[in-house]
Amino acid sequence: MSELNTALEHPTYNYKVVRQFAVMTVVWGIVGMLVGVVIAAQLAWPALNFDLPWLHFGRLRPLHTNAVIFAFGGSALFATSYYIVQRTCQARLISDKLAAFTFWGWQAVIVSAAITLPLGITTSKEYAELEWPIDILITVVWVVYAIVFFGTIMKRKTSHIYVANWFLGAYILAVAILHIINSMEIPVTMTKSYSVYAGTVDAMVQWWYGHNAVGFFLTAGFLGMMYYFVPKQADRPVYSYRLSIVHFWALVAVYIWAGPHHLHYTALPNWAQSLGMVMSIILLAPSWGGMINGMMTLSGAWDKLRTDPILRFLVVSLSFYGMSTFEGPMMSIRTVNALSHYTDWTIGHVHSGALGWVAMISIGAIYHLIPILFAKPRMYSTSLINTHFWMATIGTVLYIVSMWVNGILQGLMWRAYNQDGTLTYSFVEAVAASYPGYVVRFLGGAIFFSGMLIMAYNVYMTSRRDVESQALPATANAV
Amino acid sequence: MIQHTFGLLVKPSTQWKTVAAMDDSALRTLLLYPCLLAILPAVAWYYGTTQIGWTVGDHGETIRLTTASARQICILFYITMLACVAVIGYFVHWMAETYGAQSTTIRGIVIIGLTATPLFLAGAVGFYPILWLDMLIGVVAVCWSVYLMYLGIPIVMNIPEERGFLFSSAVLAIAMVILICLMVGSVILWDFGAAPAFTD
Repeated sequence: MSELNTALEHPTYNYKVVRQFAVMTVVWGIVGMLVGVVIAAQLAWPALNFDLPWLHFGRLRPLHTNAVIFAFGGSALFATSYYIVQRTCQARLISDKLAAFTFWGWQAVIVSAAITLPLGITTSKEYAELEWPIDILITVVWVVYAIVFFGTIMKRKTSHIYVANWFLGAYILAVAILHIINSMEIPVTMTKSYSVYAGTVDAMVQWWYGHNAVGFFLTAGFLGMMYYFVPKQADRPVYSYRLSIVHFWALVAVYIWAGPHHLHYTALPNWAQSLGMVMSIILLAPSWGGMINGMMTLSGAWDKLRTDPILRFLVVSLSFYGMSTFEGPMMSIRTVNALSHYTDWTIGHVHSGALGWVAMISIGAIYHLIPILFAKPRMYSTSLINTHFWMATIGTVLYIVSMWVNGILQGLMWRAYNQDGTLTYSFVEAVAASYPGYVVRFLGGAIFFSGMLIMAYNVYMTSRRDVESQALPATANAV
Repeated sequence: MIQHTFGLLVKPSTQWKTVAAMDDSALRTLLLYPCLLAILPAVAWYYGTTQIGWTVGDHGETIRLTTASARQICILFYITMLACVAVIGYFVHWMAETYGAQSTTIRGIVIIGLTATPLFLAGAVGFYPILWLDMLIGVVAVCWSVYLMYLGIPIVMNIPEERGFLFSSAVLAIAMVILICLMVGSVILWDFGAAPAFTD
């Protein structure tokens, strides 16, 4: 890492905006996950909302999802995409001013979300809760982002466009389309609007958006991150470049059809549900293309694992990616969905992707970036990265397992009926039975969150000019 | 065979080295090991679900399965356990070359069969099912098995520890996928005939 740059500012690249977004990734990660831990605690101990409307689960939950997806994940994507596009195109961003605008604009979006959501100002569309003035701001920032990104690609010094940029480009374009179409709304007042779509169409548009936010924001974007940082950290070329191109086109072509699996057994026409299910199952192949490529690239770097906990983050993130992209298609099968839908199994699935894949690969990428951006040979403490790795892994596993158990328990209890046809359990009995799982989930989330605090300390110490990095431990354990 | 069980639990490194030194015919007899140990959880759950029963929630009634239903499910359970060992074992063999190890299908299956020792033993909780206690014991058993695998694969496959770490991680990913298959398989089977019948 140290050979890449010696001065704080690289002579040709704009590292300032990358550094800003990288630091905010850690900050928003802590904020978003703290809110997550709070609402997890509320589900176990409901009195924790203190009877205040601003602390109600229904208001904090969208704050949590917006903060971790768009603030934490978004900042990580901005940071890495600006970094990757400059390094792989060997060109500085086309405009420092526009790049700075995307940084401050995006922070403004996040802060307005943090203010409006607890006040109960919401469109009530999941993952698109922000009201119309903020939607317009998002659109402006995103268009400028696209101009900076694609503008930089257009003035590249290398003839080839590296595959990571394909994924990032697809993510930027698709998110723009998704956001604009899903957020079409008629304003009533400054803080209230209604969707232009009605009924089933509204639901379908919503989940076309919702699932492709997963597909393009949380998958394509982070695959772009993976395709740069995995080969870089392993110091090896991508295992199969051809596979990366093939699975890129397959992923882009198939993902967009998978949304209806969120609406099984609803008013959505049956053929649309079946189409969504089939497309979701086909999606397994392109999803796994990325996992195989990443895993095979890493498998040649086994000799580095002893000294490099960042590589472990990347290995584990790819394992969780493989697992959750397998679990997703399985859950979209209608028979399975009949049991799993509306239960905690869904929440467990989302978090195996969110904690295991998105957060882990972002953390790995940020650990790779921070020393470069602050002109240090390495992170302040390698052993703290290792500690963080284990906390993140244990936290994720506790979270997923407790939600699996809860999900299946709830699914079975809800569908159980007596011989006279009456339901065996009331809803609240299923809630009571879920209590131990909620406590374990809270513990898992709290451990993951504490790991982020360790990361913040490590980043802070790395950023200080008067502190030297700690010496590498002579014999770190491999496991 | 019983000395493998104690050996793996008490002094796992030494025990894995013994296994590593075995020739093919000695390994082949170890294929019996999971077949025998898997009887324990199957019988335990048969007894627990038909005779003892379990409760859900705070003041639920005790739920039991009919013996016919429990017999069907426990036989399926036994077959599934062995099938999982065989499939994951085959994957171990299949991936061995990638990680620079010499292997046979039998060696892969034996590693996984021995690795699952804590899980098989933990299956004994079925004799007295208490949902959340069983979950906790199950999680401990899973962690123990994972530890045994990370320890055992580099020793038995005779490869460097770091390479073994990646190998084991890949096996773990496969095991998680199989776990999902089990969850989904159970749900689908539930709809197509193997639903448990409860006593009234």
